[in-house]
Amino acid sequence: MSDTPRETRVLNAVVSLVDCLLDDFDVVDLLTGLTERCAELLDVAAAGFLLADPLHQLRLLAATSEQARELELFQLQADEGPCVDCYSTGEPISVADIQQALERWPRFVPAAVGAGFASVHAIPMQAAGIVLGALGLFGTRPGELNEADLLVGQTLTRVACVAILQEHPPTADTVRPRLRTALTSRVIVEQAKGLLREMLNVSVEEAFDLLRSYARANGEHLTDLCRRLMTERYSRLMLVAELAEFAGGRSQ
Amino acid sequence: MAIHQQLLAAVDGRRGVEAADRLCEACVALLDVDAAAISLVFDGASSGTLGSSSARARICDELQFTLGEGPCLDSVAQRSPVVVVDLADPKESRWLAYGPAMLANRIRAVYAVPIVVAGEYVGALDLFCAQPGRLSNRNSAGAVAAAELAGVPLLDLMAGDLQAAVGDPNSDAWTELNTLCRAEVSQATGMLVAQLGIEPAEALVRLRAHAYATGRSATEVAREILDRRLKLEPDK
Repeated sequence: MSDTPRETRVLNAVVSLVDCLLDDFDVVDLLTGLTERCAELLDVAAAGFLLADPLHQLRLLAATSEQARELELFQLQADEGPCVDCYSTGEPISVADIQQALERWPRFVPAAVGAGFASVHAIPMQAAGIVLGALGLFGTRPGELNEADLLVGQTLTRVACVAILQEHPPTADTVRPRLRTALTSRVIVEQAKGLLREMLNVSVEEAFDLLRSYARANGEHLTDLCRRLMTERYSRLMLVAELAEFAGGRSQ
Repeated sequence: MAIHQQLLAAVDGRRGVEAADRLCEACVALLDVDAAAISLVFDGASSGTLGSSSARARICDELQFTLGEGPCLDSVAQRSPVVVVDLADPKESRWLAYGPAMLANRIRAVYAVPIVVAGEYVGALDLFCAQPGRLSNRNSAGAVAAAELAGVPLLDLMAGDLQAAVGDPNSDAWTELNTLCRAEVSQATGMLVAQLGIEPAEALVRLRAHAYATGRSATEVAREILDRRLKLEPDK
C-alpha cells in the first residue's frame, strides 16, 4: 500500500467515495468509511466527524473507533478542544504537540494524552456560508498537518458535506434539517448497537461491525436496517436471528 | 443573543405542558409567525395538541387531528419539514379539508418541523402565518432549534407522572438534551428496548426516570446498563 504514491491513493479514495454518492448510500455508513480513509491517508490514528445540532452543539456523527475511551474523547470534543475552536472560527486547526495546548484546553489535553494521542487537528466542514461541523484527527506521534495533508482533509470533508446534504441544494434553509436527519440516523444506529449487544451478547463494536456488514451484504442502508430493528417489534426476533446466522457464517 | 439562546431563556425552569406553551409563545415572538403549536403523534393512538401560543393556535392545530390531515401528520410521516407558502394558491391542494379550514381561520402559510425523541418522530412544531410567504433563513433555523427543544417537554409528558420524571424542578431541563444525545445513552436505550420489550422513546423515559430517582446522570446510568451492572425492572 505504501508503494503507491499518496496522490494516487487519495484520488482512488475520492473516486470510490464519489461512486458511493452516485449510487444509493447511507450517510452514517459512508461517513464512517470516510473517517477510516482519512485516518489511512493522513497517517493519523483516529478520526471523527462532528456535526452541529440545531442548538449549535457539536455531536459525533462518525468515527474510526468505537473504543469507549476514544468515544469519550470525541464527545468531550463537543465542549472543548480543536473541533469546537474550528467550528466557531471556520478555520483549520493543527496542533503538532498537544502538551503545548494544555492551557488552551485543560480538560481535553489530559484526556487525549490518556488515550495515547500526541497531536491533534481539526478541519471545518462548510456549505452555503455555514460551518456545519468539523473533522477531528488524532495522531499518536507529534507532527503538524502540512499543506498537502490539509488539502486532502479538505477534499474529504467536502465529500462529507455532499453526502450529508445529498441532492438538496445547500441553502441555509435546507442545510439544518439535513444535519438533523444525519444526527438522528446516528442515534438510531447507536440504539441498534445496544439492542444487538443485549440480544446477541456481543460488544457494541462487534454489533456495529455486524450491522454494517449485514447491510452491505443485503444491499440495504445501514440506517434503514437499524430503523427496522428498532421500530418493527414483531419482526425483530427474526431479524436478529438472521443477523446471528450471518455472523456465524462469517466466522467460518 | 442568538435565537436559540432566546428560545432557551424563554422556557427556562419550566417543565411539561407549561414549557411547551412558553416555547410556542417564544416562537411567535421571535420567528415572525402568528401562531405556534406543538403536537404529538405517538404510538398511533395518542395524538393531539400538546402546547400552544394561544387559543387560536390550539384550534388551528387540533383541527388536523379532527380532519385527519395536516402539517404535523405530514411532517412526521415524511420525517422532514413541511412548508406551505400559500394555502390560497389554486395549485396548492395537499389538504382538501384542512386547507380551506385554515383559510377560514385566516391562516395562509404553514411551516411544520418534526420533533424527534430517541430517534423516533413523535410530533411536530407547527407554525402558522396570516400572510403568505416563506420563513426567512434565520427564522427557519430558529424553528428547527425550537423543535429540538420541544423534545424535552414531550419526554416529560410521555413519562405520565410528571412528578416522577422531574427530580429537581429547578434543574435546567435543557442541558439534559446534551446528555440524552450521547452514544452511550442511545446504546443503553437500545438494550432497554430488548430487555423490557418497549419502544425507544419509552425506554429513554425509563432510563431518565431511573437517573432522577437515584440522583445520577443519564450517562452514568447508561454506562451501568451497558456494562450489565444495572438491570431495570419491567413496569408492573
